[in-house]
Amino acid sequence: MLVPRLLPRIVFNVIAVIVGLACLFPFLWMIRSSLMSNIEINTYPPHFWPDTPQWMNYPNTLKAFPFFRYLLNTLTITLPSIAGVLLTSTLAAYALARIDFPGRQVMFTLVIGSMLIPPAVTIIPIFVGWTTIGLSNGYLPLIVPAFLGGGAFNIFLCRQFLMTIPRDLDEAAVIDGATHRQILFDILLPLITPVLIAIGLFAFILYWNDLLGPLIYINNTDQSTISQALANFKSGFGTDWKAIMAASVMAVLPPVALYFVGQKYFIEGIVLSGLKS
Amino acid sequence: MKTRFSRSNIRTAYLFLAPAILGLTFITVLPLLGVVGISLTDWSGLEPPSFIGMDNYINLFNGDNYFFHSVVATLWFAFGAVIAGIIYSFLVALLLNQKILFRGLWRSVFFLPYIVPIIGASVVWAWMYESNFGVFNWLLGFLGVDKVKWLQSEALATPSLIAMTVWASGNLIVIFMAGLQNVPRSYLEAVEIDGGNTWHKFRHVTLPLLSPVIFFNFLTCLVFNLQAFVPAYAMTQGGPNDSTLSMVYLMYREGFMRNSFGHASALSLLFFLFIVALTALVFASSRKYMFYEGE
Repeated sequence: MLVPRLLPRIVFNVIAVIVGLACLFPFLWMIRSSLMSNIEINTYPPHFWPDTPQWMNYPNTLKAFPFFRYLLNTLTITLPSIAGVLLTSTLAAYALARIDFPGRQVMFTLVIGSMLIPPAVTIIPIFVGWTTIGLSNGYLPLIVPAFLGGGAFNIFLCRQFLMTIPRDLDEAAVIDGATHRQILFDILLPLITPVLIAIGLFAFILYWNDLLGPLIYINNTDQSTISQALANFKSGFGTDWKAIMAASVMAVLPPVALYFVGQKYFIEGIVLSGLKS
Repeated sequence: MKTRFSRSNIRTAYLFLAPAILGLTFITVLPLLGVVGISLTDWSGLEPPSFIGMDNYINLFNGDNYFFHSVVATLWFAFGAVIAGIIYSFLVALLLNQKILFRGLWRSVFFLPYIVPIIGASVVWAWMYESNFGVFNWLLGFLGVDKVKWLQSEALATPSLIAMTVWASGNLIVIFMAGLQNVPRSYLEAVEIDGGNTWHKFRHVTLPLLSPVIFFNFLTCLVFNLQAFVPAYAMTQGGPNDSTLSMVYLMYREGFMRNSFGHASALSLLFFLFIVALTALVFASSRKYMFYEGE
């Protein structure tokens, strides 16, 4: 009896180990390649691990790939954008979930409707708009949209979450003379922090990973974001794979580190966005 | 609350919604009208535009066979990535739903690629696909297969991009796992009592109960992959022979590298209609195989 019951468990564990390691393999290969000399990286058959890890590859890569400047550039876009997303999507969600006003249903429908429009469709007229007012080269076109509602999906997510909190709370506060601002920021905000953390983390990943936006709006290489700089570096240093891999390790590290810190919220956020809607 | 629509309530509501209303106006409605307007001109961004009617659209269907290529490339990539991605993530979720050791750790491992910037993933995979010293050709060597030009061959370029995209779909695994945990144990036990085996449980309980989750993943993943741009931009530059030149890539190239905004706007509008039509099709066909509890 023991063997037939134990066998599938062993098989499943073995499969999990194999597939899991395969999933980690690109990370391993990236790190391994970033530590090789030019001769070793172009050896065939390839070495699995460098004979002597070339740590100097990193300082050397930094000369052509000023990571810390790109990091600063990326944060200059990402941090204000996250603030904008959190603030304006919460305000909109509160109005849609908690205030009775004429036109609420129409506004809600419009928000949901705009979720259905793929962002790629409107990039040209938006670019034309920024060009018309002379601001098409710089960070503003990448930051300002975050302050204009913060994305329909985030409004929707936050609104759905607010709907699950009993309205008795607000009504009691109204009797005590609280304003909407106080209800939102003093009473409800602590209750909706899980969804706000999820929205914030995903906004971070979205802005951090964005490539099309910087390609369109940032023409000056000194102002490049990390993603953009990595794309340029790859096309500019075509065959110097050890340097390209070192640059990739640096570009990939910050979001991965953030993931390990906020893992619980990432997983919860994905489940929230996937199942509640 | 004394009156249903008090004046201060209305004022606060629209004040709170003001940023979103500005957003709806300036990043949704006006740009949509703009796409239509610009697509009827020959605008290059330098000289004032002149109205040329439907010429941009006629050119797309006549002289410019890039358009046809891009539709094929987009469909091939998006459906390939979605179908492979759903199968992969569903199987992994089923695996992690078993009683295995370090479940939480494995879940983190499979989710990790989703966090990696797509450009970072593309660069690393491009190196693994490299035909002379890349690791994939080395692994193929063990199977006795000769070196393959993954990204430079018309037949293999799109599947290569798809493989990377599938690897990065850890978000789907997490959603499937959450769905699997919501399957009531009592349903599964009922099948056991009736003498059903694992396959019966899967086919008649798990799969029907999860069909809404599968549908949600399918749709969001499809819309996402129809707009994919970075993998092709970083790994194949749309080649070889336009085989990975997606509609969004073509739009970017016409609009921002060649400054023909009119042409690119016509592409944008057709792309929009294309996505709407596909989404409607997916919704319509979903009625046939979807199972909703309580119906």
